[in-house]
Amino acid sequence: MPEPFVQMQHVGKTIKGQEIIRDFHINIREGEVIALCGGNGAGKSTILRMMAGIIHPSRGEITVGGFQWKTNRRRYAELIGYMPDDYRFSAGLTAKETLLFWAKLRGAPASRVDEALAEVGLEQTGAKPVASFSKGMRQRILFAQAMISRPRLLLMDEPTNGLDPYWMDTFVKLVRQAADQGQTVLFSTHQLQVAEALADRVVFLRGGAVQLEGSGEEIRSRLGAAGLAEAFGEWYAGGGNSE
Amino acid sequence: MTMSRTVQIAVREIKVGFRNPWAYTFLALFALFALMLLLINSQSVVKGYSGLTGTLLNLILYLLPLMTLMLGSFSLTGDKEDGSWELLSVYPLSTVSYMAGKFIGQAAVLLSMIAFGYGLAGTAGWAAGNGFDPSAFRLLAGFSFSLAMLYLAAAMLVGTLARNRWQALTIAVAVWFFTIIAWPPLLIAVLGMLPYLWIKPAVSVLTLLNPAEISRLFAIVKLGGGSVLGPEYYDWVKWIREPSGTIGYIAVSLLWIFGASGLSVYLWERGRKHA
Repeated sequence: MPEPFVQMQHVGKTIKGQEIIRDFHINIREGEVIALCGGNGAGKSTILRMMAGIIHPSRGEITVGGFQWKTNRRRYAELIGYMPDDYRFSAGLTAKETLLFWAKLRGAPASRVDEALAEVGLEQTGAKPVASFSKGMRQRILFAQAMISRPRLLLMDEPTNGLDPYWMDTFVKLVRQAADQGQTVLFSTHQLQVAEALADRVVFLRGGAVQLEGSGEEIRSRLGAAGLAEAFGEWYAGGGNSE
Repeated sequence: MTMSRTVQIAVREIKVGFRNPWAYTFLALFALFALMLLLINSQSVVKGYSGLTGTLLNLILYLLPLMTLMLGSFSLTGDKEDGSWELLSVYPLSTVSYMAGKFIGQAAVLLSMIAFGYGLAGTAGWAAGNGFDPSAFRLLAGFSFSLAMLYLAAAMLVGTLARNRWQALTIAVAVWFFTIIAWPPLLIAVLGMLPYLWIKPAVSVLTLLNPAEISRLFAIVKLGGGSVLGPEYYDWVKWIREPSGTIGYIAVSLLWIFGASGLSVYLWERGRKHA
């Protein structure tokens, strides 16, 4: 059995004396798509930010493709594409200039910029200042940024926030396509229809710990619900425990 | 690749810098300021050290460090507030590359603004037939350039320490106030408490800690006004007057710039490791 591509072992994070993540453990295979779900403050973003190397665990270890941030930061970063939840674009730069900057930092060819803009449907607006874009358009640029070097691990924090139904659908297709090509994906979401349509495995979090984990179908049947949204509602209303 | 990433950061900094309305406000302010220097100069040609040259040096000292501290520190705190640094920290980008790129980009923007201001004043003076004496003009411009670089290094440190623009503004104004406005009375007060034999070495150490004071001393002595500084500065005057004085000043300035920048990189990296 091949080694999991991503390993988070007994990871904990304490910030200002408050335990945000408790003994989080997950192994992810290459090409697998995982959705992190949970209420506000469940710890989804903290897990993604730790995996991205923005913040570091207080306890436990994170390994991606055999590398750890603390021992080989450059190689670790080369494997990861990250789409943040919150980002304010620099005034004055166009969408194309912004994406070109990120592409060059990743060592991706300049031709990839037009390709990425086309993938997210912004090829006509590349010359416009990105700071003037709507929330949905900014999300699409951030998605293009995360995908610019076709990273082996794609981390996304609430990627479908602000997307209209058409682009939500397109986003699902693009991510599915990336996973089919071997990219591993981990994303957080409140939109459970996206998790259901996309994820091979869904992880329900509460209080910084995994409460429920399995495929969408496994979770639905376990909770006797017709859909993941309904399952989440029942689970959440019942106190969010695995039992 | 590391060098190339530094260049990318610097290029973005220059683009954002020149499209930032703040930069144009400062550019207009500095151009107006340079024209004002020209107007003062037209009263009697600035040549060598005089009360008028001293006023010009002081005016530059009031404006340029504050401008530099604000632009430089806001550039770093802006990245923190906008989420730009958080995203860049996921990239294979070292802290040294990031900080060096920011410094180079900001330096390019600032030096362009200063060059534009002096260029405008120089051209206007030449056209009016009442321009600066060339050597005084070169010295004032050089003084401004080096002051901007020294305070840019300090601004990097302020931007590293501050969490947001408001904090940066407060620290920047404090640094400006203590190194420019409050320095002479503070120096007199501190030196007054020391035994007589300690005064000269204390003056040297304290002068080295203040980039504005190093630059001011250098400019005054080079303009031939070393005698106004008093006996405590005799060694400084002697040293700056020597042919190696300029090289020494450049070396001290570089040491200051690399020292402050090195400390910024160290603190930024420490914050990154302990996030």
